[in-house]
Order: sequence, then C-alpha cells, then structure tokens
Amino acid sequence: MPVVSLNNLHKTFAVKRKTPGLKGSLKALVRAEYQTVEAVKGISLELDEGELLAFIGPNGAGKSTTIKMLTGILYPTGGEAQVLGYIPWQQRRQLSYHIGSIFGQKPQLWYHLPPGDTFDLFAHIYELDRAAFERRKAFLVEALGIGDWLDTPVRKLSLGQRMRCEIAASLLHSPRILFLDEPTIGLDVVAKQQLRAAIQTLHDEDNLTIFLTSHDAGDVESLCKRVIVINHGQVIFDDRTSALKRRFLRRKVIGVRFGQPVPDDFSVREATVLKRGTWGVKIELDTHVRPVDDLIAALMAYAPVVDLTVEDPPMEEIIRQIYLADDAVTVEVVPD
Amino acid sequence: MQRVYAEVRFAGHLVRLSLASNMEYRASFITQAVGMFINNGIYFVFWLLFFDRFKEIRGYQIEQIFLLFAIVALGYGLGHTFAGNAARLAWLIAQGRLDYYLTLPRPVLPHLLFSYMEPSAAGDLTCGLVWYVFTGRFDALSILLFLVCSVLAAVIFMSFRALSGCLSFFIGNASRWSSFLSNTLLTFSLYPMGLFQGVIRLILFTLVPAAFVGAVPVEVVETHSLTLLGGIAGAAAVSVVVLVLVFRLGLRRYESGSALNVNI
Repeated sequence: MPVVSLNNLHKTFAVKRKTPGLKGSLKALVRAEYQTVEAVKGISLELDEGELLAFIGPNGAGKSTTIKMLTGILYPTGGEAQVLGYIPWQQRRQLSYHIGSIFGQKPQLWYHLPPGDTFDLFAHIYELDRAAFERRKAFLVEALGIGDWLDTPVRKLSLGQRMRCEIAASLLHSPRILFLDEPTIGLDVVAKQQLRAAIQTLHDEDNLTIFLTSHDAGDVESLCKRVIVINHGQVIFDDRTSALKRRFLRRKVIGVRFGQPVPDDFSVREATVLKRGTWGVKIELDTHVRPVDDLIAALMAYAPVVDLTVEDPPMEEIIRQIYLADDAVTVEVVPD
Repeated sequence: MQRVYAEVRFAGHLVRLSLASNMEYRASFITQAVGMFINNGIYFVFWLLFFDRFKEIRGYQIEQIFLLFAIVALGYGLGHTFAGNAARLAWLIAQGRLDYYLTLPRPVLPHLLFSYMEPSAAGDLTCGLVWYVFTGRFDALSILLFLVCSVLAAVIFMSFRALSGCLSFFIGNASRWSSFLSNTLLTFSLYPMGLFQGVIRLILFTLVPAAFVGAVPVEVVETHSLTLLGGIAGAAAVSVVVLVLVFRLGLRRYESGSALNVNI
C-alpha cells in the first residue's frame, strides 16, 4: 500500500509577460499579457512506507511545485494525489499532523529566538503531551547533535547548524513522512555530509518515509535507493539510484592542490587533465575506466596533497545525458 | 468551546513568543513605541489649538475628543500590536510567504495574524490609555465599556487591515492599497460622525466602518448604551466573518513563491 500516490498531476501558473524597459512596463499596464506555464505536466508516481526517494531536477523543473501540492500548500490544476490516504489540498490540516516538511529556503525557526523556543511553539501547535514532547526532543537533540545550540538565537547559527535544528523541529510530532525541499542548499561540503548522515540516521531509526528534492546529485548518491529525475515538469527517469550512478553519474571531476609545484608535463593514466595551475590540477575521470579511490591513491603517492575535492557533474549534464541515451527514459521501478 | 479555548491559548503563546522576539532588540522596541507616542501627541496638538478658540464641534467638546482618540488609539494599538501581521498580510501573500502556516495544523489566519508584533503600535496602545485619563471618566462602568469598546475596535481594525491585505490574492501586490484603505479607516474614525452626512455617512457605517471604531464607542461610553455596544459587537463579528470568507477564497489562488523567508 503506497503512502504517497500521484496520478497525472498537473499545475499551471499564469505568468505575466512584458518586454524589458519602461515602454514594456507601460504597455503591460495598458494591456497585460499572460503566458500559461505548465510547472508540472502529468506526474504519476507511488511511494511506499519507509522509502527514501530522491526527486531531483534542475532549477525550475517542478520539484518544489510538486512538493507544495503534496503538502497542501498549492492546489493542482488537474490530476489526483493522496498522501497517507488524505487529499492534501482538501485535508491539509488533518494531513499536517502526520507529515513534516522542510523548505530549504523557508525556515520555520524563529530567527531572533533560540531553536528551543520554536520547539516549544511546535509542541503547542501539534498539541503534544509535555512528557512525550520532552522525550522526543531529547531523542532528536541526541540524534542530530544539536544540544549545544538549543539556547543560541537562530540568527547566530551557521546554515548547517540551523538546518539540523529545522529537521528536529519538523520531526517533533513523529511524522510518518518527511518532505525535504532542497535541505542542503547553500551548505558547505562538511555541513552537507553531516546533514546527510543525520537524515540517514533518522530514516533508519523511525522507518521514516522521506521525499527529498534536490538539485545536488551528491544528496542522491549518499542517501537514496530510488531516484526520480524530472525536467520541465515531467518525469524523465524513475529507477534505482544504482542505475543512475552506473549510467549517468560516471564522470567525476577531481580537484587537487599539492604541497609542491606541478610540472608542465604532469599527466595521469586513464584520466584527463582539464586544467593545470602552478600548485594544483583539475582532472576528469570516468569511474568505469578507473575507480576514484585508485586515482586518489595515485595522486597522494605522487606528492603531498594539501587539498582535494571530488565533484559530481552538474544536474544539467545528467539531464542532458539522460536525454541523449535513447533507452534511458524509464518510469519502471525495479525492486532492489 | 474547548477548541476555541485551545486556539485562544495558542494565540496567547504566539503573542508571548512575538514579545520575546521583540525583546531581543529592546532598545529598538522601546524607541519605536516612544516615537509613536510622541507622534500621536503632536497630532493631538491640533485639537488643543482648535478647542482653545472654539467650544465644540458637532456636539463634541474636548472631553469627547479625548475619549474618541483614546478608543481609536487603544483599538488600533491593540489590533496592530498583537495581530501585527494584519498590516503585513498583503506583502506576505504577494511574496508567497504563507507556506509555513499552511503546513501546520492550526487555523492559518489566526496563526498568521498573531505571529508578529508591531513595536510602534505599542505607542498607540499607551497613548490610548493616557488619553483616557484626560476624559475624567473614572467610574467602573465607563472604564469597563471603554475597554470592551476598544477591544471590539481592535477586532475591526485588525479585520479591515487583513481584509484589505487579502486583495493581494486577487490583484497581486496590494501593500499600498492595504495601507491606503487602513489609513482611510483610521482618518475617518478620528472625527465626530456629525461632520458626515448622506452617502459618506452610509459608507462609514458599512464599507469603511469608521463609525464603529470611533463615534459609536464614544456614545457607548457616554450613554452606557448596551444596544449600541451590541451594534459594535455585530460590526466586529461581520468584519471577522467577511475576512475569514475572503481569506479562504483567496487561499485557493495562492501561488507560493521562491523568496527567502524568515520568521521574526
């Protein structure tokens, strides 16, 4: 029995169009022109209890619009959706007791107050029994490692610290499904890793169903078994993450900075040097040709390494590869 | 009834939290409130000069003007201090900032309205109490009626401001319209109703209910008329019902947005 099901979900917006400049503004004032933009074009999917789904796509693909319809914020233009048996936009209030949501760009924590104050507010909002609330809070504080910041005003927390507190706030009422919209947006590498680890822990502990949107392929690789890629409001890939990795996340870009100057004739076996500076190089690697760890070991053996980064291809490139691969467009989910 | 009590308690919690949030910047809070108090005081100088030359205006003497200003200022101050988001609703809708309230299991409108406190309105609130002292009406019934009328006026001020903010659902950013309409209500409420006749008077008892936040409450406190008090309560109830209906209708047109949000 799926906990989330979408059937041919549509959402269109009327967007005002105007040519640039004052002339365009005056023209629009006299006669406004609107263009219908289809943000979501017939998305259908199902999500089972305990699944951790990555719903990814580039900016403007329709990820946030979909999640907003599933949490009852937006009314769809057409189609059907059920979350835990509720129709989100009609039974928003009943549904909200059973789901948690985090919008990366829309914090729920009160900015000038410590997270602990917002946690108390949420206990009132969800009408939680005081003892149960304290137990749940203690569990989340421990699981997310946020004990040191509970009394610090949110404005003084780093983005990573704040996001972990946001997650705690969203889980105080023990929801069955957590909707995460771009939770790692703006975070540095370390904060992203910490947040991903925390999400994984909470998923494992609570058998929490997680619906995660992101435009960061790294979120998908490290967290989710299943991935749906959408572009221009349509599903273009729905399969196991391992399939996505095998076929479209093969390329990595490794940046390395050495403790000594790089010679002019620097080269590496089975990889391409994209850029060479005085102290560092940028190398492109196909992981099917040579594993990442093998290349890193070789680089570290070559000279002392001061800094090293491993980057995934940008989402736009993954999408391009999916379109290029004739047989890639699939909406069949193969069970693990 | 239990549900209503729970919502009132929740509103109380929001108000306490908003106050705590404002107290993070105590100096700013106090200076804004004091600034508004002084601003109101300067505005009243006009009436002091007027009554220095004339005895009355349409049946109002200086005592009635003090009472009128006391009720309007306390009502406006209460409405905007505790339901501070009423004044920001047009902007919040236009910016797509209702998402937070829509994902939580509380009635959206009260949750939204009581989640922000406007510091400068605390100056209006204080002014209202100070002006009442100058009316010289210290009998218990008059004080009670003054307070009840002010609370009902606060409900009307808050509903009218929020209702005008709902225009954003239908015409896009209506922040200036909301501000203009709210100022219209406030301005007309600060004059004796005897100055207005015909269509204008009809409008001030209906579309722009200035009479119910100024002149009628003055009469209630002066005459102790419970019938008129019932009229004000009715006007307040109608304002709330219209607000709730229009807000619900507008919510279907809400388009969210991608602007960065912060709860303050």
